[in-house]
Amino acid sequence: MRALVSWLQDFVEIPESPAQLAAALTLAGMAVDTVETVDGEAVLELDITSNRPDAANHLGLAREIAAIFGRPLKRPKIELVEDVRPAADFARIEIDAEDLCARYVGRVLLGVEVKPSPDWLRRRLELCGTRSINNIADLTNYVLLECGHPTHAFDLNTLNDRRIVVRRAAAGEAMRTLDGLERKLTPEDLVIADAYHPVALAGIMGGLESEISDSTRDVLIEAAWFEPGPVRRTSRRLSLHTEASYRFARGADIEAAPWAADRIAALLGRLSPGAVLQGRLDVYPRRREALRVDLRADRFRRVIGVDLSVDSMRAVLERLDFHCFYAGGETLSVEIPSHRLDVEREIDLIEEVARVHGYDHVPSTLPTIGRPLRPAPHVAEEGLVRETLRALGYDETIGYAFQSAEEAEMFGAWPAIPLRNPFSELAAVMRTSSAPTMLQAIAHNVHRNETNVKLAELGRLYRRDHDDFSEPPVLTLGATGDVRPADLREPAKELDFYDLKADVEALLRRFDLAQIQFDDQDTPAHYIGGCSARVQTERGTVAYLGEVDPQITEKRKIRQPVFLAEIFLDKLYEAGLRRPQHRDLPKAPSVYRDFSLLVPEGIPFGEIRTAIGVMEHLISLEPMEIFRGKQVTEGHYSLLLRARWQQGDQTFTDEQVNAYAEQLTGALDRKLNIQLRG
Amino acid sequence: MSFDEKAARPIAELVAAGESVDALYAELLRAFETERGGVRSDDALKTFRDRWLGRKNGLLSATNDQWLKLAPRELKPQVGKLQNETRKRVEGDLASLQETLAAAGRKRKAIDVTLPGPRRDLGARHPVRLVLEECIEIFGSLGYSVAEGPEIEKFFYNFEALNFPPDHPAVDEMDTLFVTDDTLLRTHTSPNQIRIMEAIEPPLRYVVHGKVYRNDAPDATHSPMFHQLEVFAVSESTTLGDLKGTLEYFAERFFGKGTKTRLRPSFFPFTEPSAEMDVTCPFCAGRGCRICKQTGWIEVLGCGMIDPNVLRSAGLDPDRYQGFAAGFGLDRFAMLKYDINDISLLYNGDVRFLRQFR
Ligand SMILES: [Zn+2]
Repeated sequence: MRALVSWLQDFVEIPESPAQLAAALTLAGMAVDTVETVDGEAVLELDITSNRPDAANHLGLAREIAAIFGRPLKRPKIELVEDVRPAADFARIEIDAEDLCARYVGRVLLGVEVKPSPDWLRRRLELCGTRSINNIADLTNYVLLECGHPTHAFDLNTLNDRRIVVRRAAAGEAMRTLDGLERKLTPEDLVIADAYHPVALAGIMGGLESEISDSTRDVLIEAAWFEPGPVRRTSRRLSLHTEASYRFARGADIEAAPWAADRIAALLGRLSPGAVLQGRLDVYPRRREALRVDLRADRFRRVIGVDLSVDSMRAVLERLDFHCFYAGGETLSVEIPSHRLDVEREIDLIEEVARVHGYDHVPSTLPTIGRPLRPAPHVAEEGLVRETLRALGYDETIGYAFQSAEEAEMFGAWPAIPLRNPFSELAAVMRTSSAPTMLQAIAHNVHRNETNVKLAELGRLYRRDHDDFSEPPVLTLGATGDVRPADLREPAKELDFYDLKADVEALLRRFDLAQIQFDDQDTPAHYIGGCSARVQTERGTVAYLGEVDPQITEKRKIRQPVFLAEIFLDKLYEAGLRRPQHRDLPKAPSVYRDFSLLVPEGIPFGEIRTAIGVMEHLISLEPMEIFRGKQVTEGHYSLLLRARWQQGDQTFTDEQVNAYAEQLTGALDRKLNIQLRG
Repeated sequence: MSFDEKAARPIAELVAAGESVDALYAELLRAFETERGGVRSDDALKTFRDRWLGRKNGLLSATNDQWLKLAPRELKPQVGKLQNETRKRVEGDLASLQETLAAAGRKRKAIDVTLPGPRRDLGARHPVRLVLEECIEIFGSLGYSVAEGPEIEKFFYNFEALNFPPDHPAVDEMDTLFVTDDTLLRTHTSPNQIRIMEAIEPPLRYVVHGKVYRNDAPDATHSPMFHQLEVFAVSESTTLGDLKGTLEYFAERFFGKGTKTRLRPSFFPFTEPSAEMDVTCPFCAGRGCRICKQTGWIEVLGCGMIDPNVLRSAGLDPDRYQGFAAGFGLDRFAMLKYDINDISLLYNGDVRFLRQFR
């Protein structure tokens, strides 16, 4: 809203500079965005919150200023000279839809002259951003800017039977609004009709046919009060948002209607020849009952934390046109003025007093601590996951929670939750897999020539089971390019499955999991079968990892191998963090033996380890070298396996180690037909 | 006769053959010094030591046996003195030789220290996380617990319980992403106020944070998903003054010492009284610059006393309990703090962007 300081000064004294005024208004909740000087006039641009339509006009703003500075408000005097002819003889007003229109005030003027407005009027309107049309239209706009009440002027002679009927539109009824558009109406819409046809959309826009024109002689001024909800709905349905609809939708002042009608009539009497007929036509079927609310001074002090006297509270409220009565003790009974539709409760009055008293006069305190704080669930686990990712060199990214229905179908393991009103088909459902999110981030980088990428994303998946929604946490690792760039000493090392596996293992080791087994069974279809793994633990499947199917990466124009890991954190969080536990340090060193084994092709390392199983004092089994070639028997590969044993404080004898070695080779021979190489 | 041979003979014999005691020891020492010059390694030193000081076959053991022990009475004092002096001299020289060799072993060839080490970078922390963690730490120091809550939320928790009128613009499909009529993607973190108040009897003090959603197509200034953080405190005596004090403390910690704040009355459905907080622009200390649009102030958050209707929705008696709430966008804070002008950078995973936060 734009406000002219000189116009405000019509109603209240303002010795402050425009900048000082702006600061004071801002601190009282009438945010002034800019102060400009236009054509020698100080113009404020205000951002009035939607609960305060009463302040979005010059008189309302002047009332705020008067309250802030404790100065009297000077209301404009209406000097109306009425004709002897009664208005009721020239026009009739009926309200059919009383539930939608609580009051309708009309003023009738005869013999007016439609012409351009005088300079002072044009200037004020234009400085406020309103185009000047003619004296009558301009006055309705002027009064709107002055007191905030929307009004409308009809050419009285275009109204059939000179009748106004406020009613719901009939089904299929239509009318042409001032903007020239044909509007199809429904019984949801409230219209102002004459004897036969709608002549205006109530509270929104007038009709083209009843518009004031150069030939207009007789005028009916409308100042009414319409229910906010229906005005908002009709204006939204027709995408027709006007100054009037904005104000009615937020709640106009029902008691201001007669004042607004009289004010226009009085001003028009000065700007044009003609007669204001005697009497207001005021149909007021639903009289507003004045609301009274108690304000307990101690309640104010308890909520705000300021020790203000009850008289000071009363003084603030009176300056805002609230009438206060002492209701015993330190309680005020406060009558809410008709323009303050936002004030209904004690807490609203508390806000009014605190606001005008000034938040900057509220002493700053800190609440006393009442109880120990509760850490968020899994905060320790999540913290260690992040710490590990950081140490492993993954940059953390955040991805959108949406994806396309197609992606969800292709990557996800359960039906996706569709959004009813998605902003894009690419974000039509809540994601069921984080793989496409990560692939998109990798594609973004590769397309920008950033080909060495290690990204991690901690987010959620979204799942619906009947009426229950769940959001299991998922960690996604995406890696591509060189795991180590070429440098002075070594050539580049391209990232492979095992690099990613090492990272996944490092992460899993932080959790209290007894069994961690990798196999290549049942990995999701977006991985290359045989080049991807499932990780199983006593908590079930906790992760998938592997190389992404090149068909999928190529579709995203990524022409290098991409590796993904999807880690289901809920399972890890259930297991909890591994709790370090000290064991006595071994006093004797460990011993190892290397075994050169001839392994039939098709036996994976995991099976060899399982075949050896748990042996006394065996602490590790490490593959040291794998070799395939002419020197190796057809259909076999050679594996150099290092086994290491250790016991607490005793050194092994050769006989012991020999016995262990025989046990080991015996098991391999028996279970997997693996021989020592000759 | 070599001095090795001499050392193996009794002194009396040598003197009889015309040798003088002084000359014999002098010769011994000369030989030691000559041989010592050739010792350049630890191994050579060991051999050299064994040759001279070895218990069984060492030269000085030999002279001790043959010269000193077998010396005739009249020669004994002289031989004794020289034997002793020579042994001390040899021992001392060997010790210093050992030290010299050790020092030589510790010596390194100079290298080009200006060559780069192989790069080993830690992963980058996301700017939104950095800001979040800082906020949690600050409010944690004031005794605030932390919670997150569901992103797919009930209409009731997101709007109704928070005192939104049914026809509030935010309730519209234009603004809010709906799953079903009564389920939606939360538009703010405030539903957790209700969820926590339902679950825990005051006094309570919480930070809730997480992803929130709006029906906006992404561009440089809009994102359909962003992050919010909200703090709230409820007890029988929490005041607007407490809210002010808490936010002033936060602003000084987060935006820097000397940051001033102001509360401007405002309007939100879920608070009454409501306010917006401005801080003095941290970029120009309030003098006015591009970022604060020359005003010296930056609007950073919305806050207020929790509306009695909201307390009632959560099953609390608003005559007994009262509290405050304040909420802000972590994305906006991150953009403000790190001068990021395109919100899509926060969500596209661009490593050139992320690695600035390593
Ligand atoms: Zn600035």
